[in-house]
Amino acid sequence: MNLTRLWAVSRKEAIQLRRDPRSLAMAFLLPVALLIFFGYAISYDVKNIEMAVLDESGSERSRALIEAFESSGYFNVIEYPASYGELDPLLDRGRVRLVLVIPPTFETDLQTVRGAAVQILLDGADANTATIAQNYATAILARYSANVVSQGRSLVLPAEAETRVWFNETLESRNMIVPGLVAVIMSIIAAMLTALTIAREWERGTMEQLSATPVQRLEVVLGKLLPYVAIGLFDVAVAIVAGLLVFDVPLRGNILLLTVLTLLFLLGALSFGMFISAAVKSQVLATQVALQTTYLPAILLSGFIFSISTMPLALRAITYAVPARYYVTVTKGIFLKGVGPGVLWVEAVAMVIFAAVGLTLAIRSFKKELA
Amino acid sequence: MPEAVQVRELTRKFGDFVAVDRVSFAVEEGEIFGFLGPNGAGKTTTIKMLTGLLHPTSGSAWVAGFDVLKQIESVKANLGYMSQLFSLYPDLTVLENIQLFAGLYGVGNDRFAERRDWVLEMARLSDHGDRLTGELPLGFKQRLALGCAVLHQPPILFLDEPTSGVDPISRRNFWDLIYGFAATGTTVLVSTHYMEEAEYCHRIAVMNRGSIIALDRPAALKGAIREPILEVTVDNAPRAVETLRRAPGVLEVTMFGRAVHAMVEDRATAQREIPRLLSAAGQRVESIEPIEPSLEDVFVSFVKRAGGTVAG
Amino acid sequence: MISGLRLRQLLKKELRQIFRDPRMKRIVFIAPMVQLIAFGYAVNTDIKHTKTFVIDHDRSAASRELLEVVEATGYFRIVGSSQRPADLVRALDYGEAEVGIEIPTEFGRELAAGRGTRVQVILDGTNSNTATVAQGYLTQIVRQFGLRRVAEAGGFSASGIDPRPRAWYNPELASRVYNVPGVIGMLILLMSLLLTSMSVVREREMGTLDQLAVSPLSAAELILGKTVPATLIAFVDLFLVTAIAILWFGIPMRGSFVVMLPAALIFIISALAVGLLISTISRTQQEAFMSMFLFLLPAIILSGFFYPISSMPQVFQWITVLNPLRHFLEIVRAVFLKGAGFAELRVQFVALTVMAVGFMTLAVVRFKRTLAT
Repeated sequence: MNLTRLWAVSRKEAIQLRRDPRSLAMAFLLPVALLIFFGYAISYDVKNIEMAVLDESGSERSRALIEAFESSGYFNVIEYPASYGELDPLLDRGRVRLVLVIPPTFETDLQTVRGAAVQILLDGADANTATIAQNYATAILARYSANVVSQGRSLVLPAEAETRVWFNETLESRNMIVPGLVAVIMSIIAAMLTALTIAREWERGTMEQLSATPVQRLEVVLGKLLPYVAIGLFDVAVAIVAGLLVFDVPLRGNILLLTVLTLLFLLGALSFGMFISAAVKSQVLATQVALQTTYLPAILLSGFIFSISTMPLALRAITYAVPARYYVTVTKGIFLKGVGPGVLWVEAVAMVIFAAVGLTLAIRSFKKELA
Repeated sequence: MPEAVQVRELTRKFGDFVAVDRVSFAVEEGEIFGFLGPNGAGKTTTIKMLTGLLHPTSGSAWVAGFDVLKQIESVKANLGYMSQLFSLYPDLTVLENIQLFAGLYGVGNDRFAERRDWVLEMARLSDHGDRLTGELPLGFKQRLALGCAVLHQPPILFLDEPTSGVDPISRRNFWDLIYGFAATGTTVLVSTHYMEEAEYCHRIAVMNRGSIIALDRPAALKGAIREPILEVTVDNAPRAVETLRRAPGVLEVTMFGRAVHAMVEDRATAQREIPRLLSAAGQRVESIEPIEPSLEDVFVSFVKRAGGTVAG
Repeated sequence: MISGLRLRQLLKKELRQIFRDPRMKRIVFIAPMVQLIAFGYAVNTDIKHTKTFVIDHDRSAASRELLEVVEATGYFRIVGSSQRPADLVRALDYGEAEVGIEIPTEFGRELAAGRGTRVQVILDGTNSNTATVAQGYLTQIVRQFGLRRVAEAGGFSASGIDPRPRAWYNPELASRVYNVPGVIGMLILLMSLLLTSMSVVREREMGTLDQLAVSPLSAAELILGKTVPATLIAFVDLFLVTAIAILWFGIPMRGSFVVMLPAALIFIISALAVGLLISTISRTQQEAFMSMFLFLLPAIILSGFFYPISSMPQVFQWITVLNPLRHFLEIVRAVFLKGAGFAELRVQFVALTVMAVGFMTLAVVRFKRTLAT
């Protein structure tokens, strides 16, 4: 390996990048813009659930119950249908997600030993939101009935769960989303940056020119990678600063460890993009392959949104081949859990393997071409 | 005789840069009309305006009797176009490309087979119809591109540096084809920066920095140069140019390979003085003799006369 | 004016180019099916068998019974237990468990004596969604367990309000039923963009766009030539993935294909128009690729696919109105799960049509400017 030649390739790549201000702006600004955009936009926090109440009781007690729902902060009572017949269209059109039906005998039933039954109708289509809404509703009903049963006196519940949340005490979904998003955006950007570089050289015929010089495969690959690694590291740095300053996401672990692991990840992801590019030699095809093999898996199979532990075994096995999976674990672990190499060594090893395989593939794919 | 192309005060600006500056000319039917000039002289921009690829900033133009500004659809139906970029689909086969362009230009089933065979024959690709176009040697691609441009037998053919990058023999063959079209009445407008190619044209517009600085038959252009030209063969041409540039009585010096062309005020004086000057500068003169001006000399001379410098 | 001859040849050429490379067939038709199968399993937010670590200081009949109840719900799976709280910390740090339950000594005795007792529940908040739901479940389970024990022992009768929840459209509250239609919309959007976003810019880079522009081909013909093959391919894909959703994942199709098909057609056209627009404003294929990416990620995230739109800040809710995927997903989900028809979905249909017409007009205008500058 010759550093002069390596440097020459890197310089050429950097100059080409600089001459293309649109691409450069995208490479630098896109990740940060996306992070800020999504950091604000997305949230799992279920609030202001729109609901309807069919109050057949019309009593003081039932009004107090409705009041309890409204003051909880989770629900917004927007409709008061007069009969069962009016419920269907409310749910069908998606106007409300939950309907509380209070029976005519509500007040009198409450006085009995049997107690009163209320119906909760949920729009179950979005199971996740429905589950959370149901939990909120039952909690409100439980608190209300405890009050009724104790008739104002303080009541000791026989057993209570005292919950504490670790790593993300306030259960802010932003804390979970931002570190994961950094990982997802970087894995997509990395593949995107390099996927076209070599295919483009092939289409333009400059690859032949390059292969006519004494430059070696390793030098070409590393030389092309370097400028992108620099961009990638810069992007991650800005994303981390944005996460800390804009979104107040805690960074509990070691920033040096994060840097080292990010470098490993970028090396692998960029090499993989280059491999795709060299293997298919056509920009159109490279785009297709890069999107399908990195974009969707990074979003869906990395544990960023959908937890891996609930996936079937076969799919869980596949996620081990998705590098974003390891990087998501790393960013969440270092940001939120503050864990160190003692915990993250498994991910580190996986990423070393990924980087090694990626580089080898990228270099090998040049073999046929430069022969 | 009706004019095939008629151009008046045609101008195109890109921001502050004037790519084509008030160009006017007319081309007769069956004529081979050349644009000669370095890169950036405005040749391609002019052709693009005449074929509807660029809107003129001002001025007007008629092609085949139709107004380029108002009747571009009719203009398009009457022209064939081939650009310096080889622009057929590399991922389609030879036959598929022919089929596509036949369809685009409305060559119907009745004429298709005949025209297809004609193109294959002309491009000498009869045995390669099913090959991917991208795999063909450049000379073949060029002939195929020309064939696709004239599939519909257009009365006017625009060729934008059609032979760039082709070897001299293929270039010669290509020009034979162009002569063939002109002989059957097709009007050809061709741009080039090869001087020797321009000599094949009936008339040439010499362009520099967006303007036409001369327009005439090649012979007439050469005849317009009254100053004698001397070809000086020396052992070190670049140094000789340096020396002669400062010599009295020498109007213009250009390098031609190992030789130097000097445009002089008076032939006899120069033939006497130049060897003396060069020897004094320590250079060896192998020969010095008067020559007929080439088109390149013509170009340099006209640029000088227009008081400008060569673009590009 | 559109000439049949020109259009036919142009369509032939586009299809030939798309499928010249045999790998394209696999990418265009097989990949979406494989992806739907894989992602169909992935898109699951159900809280099931959450990995739970237990520290039982009491080890009484009562504590064992509580743990049995916890596991019997199916929401939690006990993956380990220990006497040392440090082990729980380790399990959470390594991600071996997402929930920890710590039962205090004297749990059984306090419970029997009717003096309130507290069970510690520790949740891994890195997945705030799982944590929120698990927290709700455990709170309920523990409370009800206590009340039942007291009632059985003849303490006071458990009365008050008995909530009877019933989920419509999706009685088991399975998230897959909701998310698989989302994946369908996402895959179709992706395919439509892939097919068109490179198409024009590629011709420009190759120089063939000029060759087309000097021919009598009109802008309308060129646009049709580019969109018709892509529409056909996207439609075939839609059929394939919908079949897999119904046959493989058993997603109920309660509505009618008569509603689905026009929605899909309008959606595909709007997606193709976005792709064409990207292609006409980009100067290189790389730029087109990045612009597509720039559109795709927000389109997916702001579609209501995984993040409920109602939880977004108001500004973002307004932005989602411009997202064709959002409207298409609402239609697909409503048709699949609620059996909705045109009447219920007229707002979405109108929005989608406006989007398709708007984007297509923009693409055509830009395209004409690209052809002659």
